[in-house]
Amino acid sequence: MLRLATSAMATRFELVLVDDGDRLRVRAAGEAALEAVERCDAEWSAFASDSFLAHLNRTAALRPVALDADQFELLAACEDAWRATGGAFDPSVAPLVRALDRRAPCGGELALDAAAAREYVAAAREYVGWDAVRLDRERRTLRFARPGVALDLGGIAKGHALELAARELRAAGVTNALLHGGTSSVLALGAPPDARAWRVALEGGDGAPVVELCDAALSVSAQHGRTLADGSGHVLDPRTRTSAASDATVAVVHADARIAEAWSTALLVLGELPREGRELDVELASAPRGSPSRLDREPPHSQLETDPTMHDSRIETAGAPRGGRFGTAHAPRDLELAFGRGPRFARSWQFNRTPDVSSFLRSATVLP
Amino acid sequence: MSPIDRRDFLVHGASAAAAFALTSELVAAASLPQTKVPIDVALVGCGRQGRAILGELAKIEGVKVVAVVDVLDARLKSGQRRVQGAEGYATIAEMLDKAKSVAAVFVATPSHTHKDVALECLAAGKHVYVESPLATTLDDCRTLVQAARKSGKVCVTGMYGRSNPIYGLARSFFRSGALRDTVTMRAQYHKKSTWRTPGANAEEEAALNWPLDPKVSLGLVGEYGTQQFDVFHWFLGAYPTAVRGFGSIQLHKDGRTVHDTVLCELQFPGERRLIYDATLANSFDSQHELFCGSMGSIKLAWTAGWMFKEADSPTQGWEVYANRQQFHDEQGITLIADATKLAAQGKLKEGVGLPNPPLYYPLADFLKSVTENTPVVCSVEEGLRAAAVAILANQAVTTGQTVAIDEALLKSE
Repeated sequence: MLRLATSAMATRFELVLVDDGDRLRVRAAGEAALEAVERCDAEWSAFASDSFLAHLNRTAALRPVALDADQFELLAACEDAWRATGGAFDPSVAPLVRALDRRAPCGGELALDAAAAREYVAAAREYVGWDAVRLDRERRTLRFARPGVALDLGGIAKGHALELAARELRAAGVTNALLHGGTSSVLALGAPPDARAWRVALEGGDGAPVVELCDAALSVSAQHGRTLADGSGHVLDPRTRTSAASDATVAVVHADARIAEAWSTALLVLGELPREGRELDVELASAPRGSPSRLDREPPHSQLETDPTMHDSRIETAGAPRGGRFGTAHAPRDLELAFGRGPRFARSWQFNRTPDVSSFLRSATVLP
Repeated sequence: MSPIDRRDFLVHGASAAAAFALTSELVAAASLPQTKVPIDVALVGCGRQGRAILGELAKIEGVKVVAVVDVLDARLKSGQRRVQGAEGYATIAEMLDKAKSVAAVFVATPSHTHKDVALECLAAGKHVYVESPLATTLDDCRTLVQAARKSGKVCVTGMYGRSNPIYGLARSFFRSGALRDTVTMRAQYHKKSTWRTPGANAEEEAALNWPLDPKVSLGLVGEYGTQQFDVFHWFLGAYPTAVRGFGSIQLHKDGRTVHDTVLCELQFPGERRLIYDATLANSFDSQHELFCGSMGSIKLAWTAGWMFKEADSPTQGWEVYANRQQFHDEQGITLIADATKLAAQGKLKEGVGLPNPPLYYPLADFLKSVTENTPVVCSVEEGLRAAAVAILANQAVTTGQTVAIDEALLKSE
């Protein structure tokens, strides 16, 4: 195995590549993949004034902004997810995120007195809503219907970065690899040697649910882990234009990492998978509301097992992981699992006790 | 922040807050990027740099990329993904023959091919933008400069520093004597990378990995140093007279002969020295240039710049209101383009950064020269000088010897 990493999107992106004997080529492919992640970060950063997103937010109310194929794919995925989730996923929350975070549109911190902060938030709420976003699928352009509208792709950009990275790997002939961004977004290409899938434990500790991924992506979302400057959670409910009340941890599997990420964000807001979502072949695992305090203190993450031989101790039922990561305060039987449609719907989630080897995420970058 | 500053910049009341919600969208209205007249352009070379160029060109209204060229099919398709409707060509000759509306060509091919591509386009009557370095031999540089002059077309080298608003601001401080006497200069390029590019097969891989081919590559000083040396040329208004260098393979011991770590000392007139180091084995502090003077220092990092004042340096006024950033026990004053105007608007503390990546600015300057006949910002003559210094620096690195830089070598005749 070859492991590479880079810092992007305020987190660590890591690749686990299967060394097929041509280590130079595999490493070069991995670096190309990480560069794709870095480019994606530079392109979609909500904090950099020179990002494409900043350009889009500055310009789209004044004239249509031309999109390249990748940018269009991402924004089309956003619009599709907005529609399918009934507005629970909506990147046009940007003005409100900025206001709650007391940031200027150009990214700098604002020193606001209490009255100004309240007014800033109230004013920003008026600009939320994808219905003011005009994505022209024929001309491949995007326009805002009115000034003040802006996008923040924090709820989907990591998935997009993983998809772009995976494309670089595939183009270089790499067919087996595991990619993740901050452990909350994971994409699996193929499987490790002699195994049927990459195994990913949701959160740590004994009895954590383990997801098997083969040419699929996983996204884990939770409200805890990061707060905005006003103390509210970073996931907003675009429908009510307030911070989402959920304290659940949601995990979603889908073939496309963008869709998995958009849905895990939306499901935090919705609390359940709506009818429209079931048509998208989305799988869902969700911790119950009122998760234990440990979850409240830590950002959501998954732990990835890199040892493909760890296939014992599997519990074949879709019921309870014993002594689960989700703690004793909430019985594991409360876990909601395996929503969705299509072939995957029939597959049971399988759990095992989290093995000790699932710690590579904490290790340093491996050098050649 | 002192209590006085805090009071000055604390925002009160509803009207200001509502304005913030709209600022970014409306403030852009007056300065949307566009050319004065529509222009059709082509890109030759759809690698990473070429695709980045396409991304920036797409922001400028009036520019239509009608053709992209690359010998590798996969790269050509990648280029076409960037621009809707652009025709793809495998050769420049075919593009020049069929895409008649093209008025200007952007050249982002491997450095050692710049000359031939640019000559072909100039001969066809196109304006030409050539990525840095201009070429990889002194003869090629001279040939290209002479052809550019003869053509009567706009032909420039993409030297990002000269077009970068932050660098322009820093240079105005530097030239006005804000640092007083220049004591020492440093620059670095640090990135952890093998510098290898994967290809679909051995032949493609060999073509893509030209930076690791010592027969054509100028190594790290050529690919990255050229841009950075030019910053010092531009600020000082002078060129080095000698260079000595060292090179080694510190990390990537994979059979390569092109160094992954280099160090150069460039001697400028007046006993001023620039220490330049570049490595593919470490990423600390990325890419930057540093000028140290008896009254302060300027650090430039492409998307940001800072001034560090000596305790006994006089106050200039504007810096009182500027954003500051702590670097260990030094406080950097953020250099922001249009700082005076922003200060008047009370916006200096909002962290206003460059609205576009550094690559955007030389492209926009070139298009302005083509469509509005404005003077070029970075001439091919300056491109020749920067490339010549890099060529000689690479010679110093590979031979381990001090190389004199005769003034005559920096001339195009």
